[in-house]
Amino acid sequence: MLLVSGVTKQYRDTLAVDDVSLSASPGRILGLLGPNGAGKTTTIRMIAYITTPDQGTVTFNGQNVGPWSQRVMGYLPEERGLYRRMKVGEQLEYLGRLKGLARADASRAAKSWLERFDASEWWSKRVDELSKGMQQKVQFVSTVLHDPELLIFDEPFSGLDPINADLLQSVILDLKDQGKTILFASHRMEQVEQLCDDICMIASGRIVLDGSVREIKQSFGRDTVKIEFAGSADFIDSLEQAERIRVVTRTHQAVELRLLDSTTPRHVLDAAMQHVDEIFRFEVVEPPLNEIFISVVGESTARAKQAAHHQGVRG
Amino acid sequence: MSQIGIIAQREYLQRVRSRAFIIATALGPILMLLVLAIPIVMAIFSRDDSTRVIAVVDQSGEVAELLSFPDNFRIEQTTAPVDTLRSRVDGGQLEGYLILPDDLVSGAGEARYYSRGGGGILLNEQIADAVRAGVREARILRAGAPAAVLEIMKERVPVRMIQLTDEGERADSTQVLAVFGYFMGFLIYLCVILYGAIVMRGVIEEKTSRISELIASSAKPFDLMMGKVLGIGAMGLTQWLIWIGAGIGLSAAAAALVAGVLPDGAFPTDGAVAGGGAAPVNPIAELMPDIPLMFPVYFILFFLGGYLLYSSLMAAIGSAVEQEADAQQFMWIVIMPLILPMVMIVNVMSAPDGLVATVMSLIPLFSPIVMVVRMAATNVPWWEVWLSLILLAGAFLLAIWISSRIYRVGILSYGKKPTFKELARWMRQA
Repeated sequence: MLLVSGVTKQYRDTLAVDDVSLSASPGRILGLLGPNGAGKTTTIRMIAYITTPDQGTVTFNGQNVGPWSQRVMGYLPEERGLYRRMKVGEQLEYLGRLKGLARADASRAAKSWLERFDASEWWSKRVDELSKGMQQKVQFVSTVLHDPELLIFDEPFSGLDPINADLLQSVILDLKDQGKTILFASHRMEQVEQLCDDICMIASGRIVLDGSVREIKQSFGRDTVKIEFAGSADFIDSLEQAERIRVVTRTHQAVELRLLDSTTPRHVLDAAMQHVDEIFRFEVVEPPLNEIFISVVGESTARAKQAAHHQGVRG
Repeated sequence: MSQIGIIAQREYLQRVRSRAFIIATALGPILMLLVLAIPIVMAIFSRDDSTRVIAVVDQSGEVAELLSFPDNFRIEQTTAPVDTLRSRVDGGQLEGYLILPDDLVSGAGEARYYSRGGGGILLNEQIADAVRAGVREARILRAGAPAAVLEIMKERVPVRMIQLTDEGERADSTQVLAVFGYFMGFLIYLCVILYGAIVMRGVIEEKTSRISELIASSAKPFDLMMGKVLGIGAMGLTQWLIWIGAGIGLSAAAAALVAGVLPDGAFPTDGAVAGGGAAPVNPIAELMPDIPLMFPVYFILFFLGGYLLYSSLMAAIGSAVEQEADAQQFMWIVIMPLILPMVMIVNVMSAPDGLVATVMSLIPLFSPIVMVVRMAATNVPWWEVWLSLILLAGAFLLAIWISSRIYRVGILSYGKKPTFKELARWMRQA
């Protein structure tokens, strides 16, 4: 059981983390959600004992985190990196030994993990001979090879092709089934939605929402409509202009939209019936996490943050 | 094995097995031989054995016969007019001409040497010495002193300094001992350049390869810094041991070779050429046995301490910067404290028990150089030596601690070039 209570961290002129409390349980995946710069990484670093909080405590299994907890923890940082000129096998042995494994045990674990990722032949290759995706797998192995109780993955899927992302996802779910406590940080809401049992939304250093994914979604009710149709899409624009709905996603002949204020699903259906040639699907669903996040932190700040984030990522 | 041990072991093995290490170890002695050979070769070539022709116009008529010049001078007594001599100098037949006026012996006049100035300081000194000795002799003769007095004046009087120590008497070799100070300073400087730079680069690499966050979640920055400095230090020692081993073998062979090749007298012994200005003829062989038995042990301890301290400062610099080019602005932290004691060596030697020398020999950044000079020059109480060593070890730990604090904050804020003020803040907030 990981328990973060009342944690605050100040960097010179910014309050990076402001009175954050959260908990993660064995056998569950806790998603730490929020745009970059929200305080996710700082929170994770305090859990990983890389920095210490100004106020508040971080405990794992009832004990303050410290060098001891680092040994039972695996951390995949967002900033990936390995010793470039070191061979894969030696590197994994070294990282395993730093976590307290004997050399032989580290070697055995590294070999079996590499096998699982179909990467046994990389053992005596230097890291800088590997592709980015291969390096990422090696990095993941370094996170799990000492069989840690607590796992922290910060954007684990970034830079992976879909096949490897699937492989990684199944490994993470396996670890969950083994009863590991898993913390999964991402700004990609749809990934979090797929994988996590619990979520914790963080914005501007504060927790704005937390709980189990199921409960949160239920509490927001069914206020989202999915429509597949053929013909003119003009009804969407006019509804949007009248501020009756907000478009979540939209493709050529499909749309997902959120009902605003007193708009009912029937209202939307009526509007659609008058314009489109045919309707293939009309469904009222729970809003996606992304929408929930926007509702919680306020539309304007969320949009601004996401825009800023996308610029930051591209720039 | 402790974290420090694991980290040090990786640093050591990775580097010792690297191609760069093998090449550097193989080429090192060749480079060093070159560095040693260059001054010798230069000394041989710069030594001007050509005959110097100097005209002497002796208006006094009693000094010229008394002048004694080194063998390569040819003296031409003449009464030719100055214009003629001057044109011969211009034409290159004469090195220069010396005019000894009538009243030189009586003390009123002055001797003048005219030349185009190509002979250098050494030549001028030789001429001045010859003139002084000659005039002095002429004056003694004029005063009617007996020949015995003349002999007495020409005699060299040997003076030897003996130092009283607890173990008994030993030759006082203060001037020679400066060599130990310079040697220590040079050795530490060399090792900081060679290996301290590797420590710095290793720390920077840790950050540029973005592995620092992963390592920081597995080991304390203090252990990381300590492991790096010790591991790379061990690599440096390995390299030196290989070199010393090879050097002992090679030098035996080289000595035989050099002895066969060089002409007699190629090694200047008059102290004027090779820079041993203060040292009389071959003093080191004569004085070395008088150094106390423990001296080499302390020398090694102070060397290791100094080297580790300076390497950890290099680690701190590496922690503070993003790339090697940015490190320049901090290099004075290492260079200044190395140069200061080297400049002070003369003062330390002249008053090895004085306040300045005593204090400097206790200050960690200076003590490796200053204490070694003091120990060679005087009888330093054992407790001062050990206090100095303990302070040195403490400073080393402190430097590692400081660099780990800077490192800890440095990895959390990529891409910023810190100022000194910020570094101070980093140390407090980490």
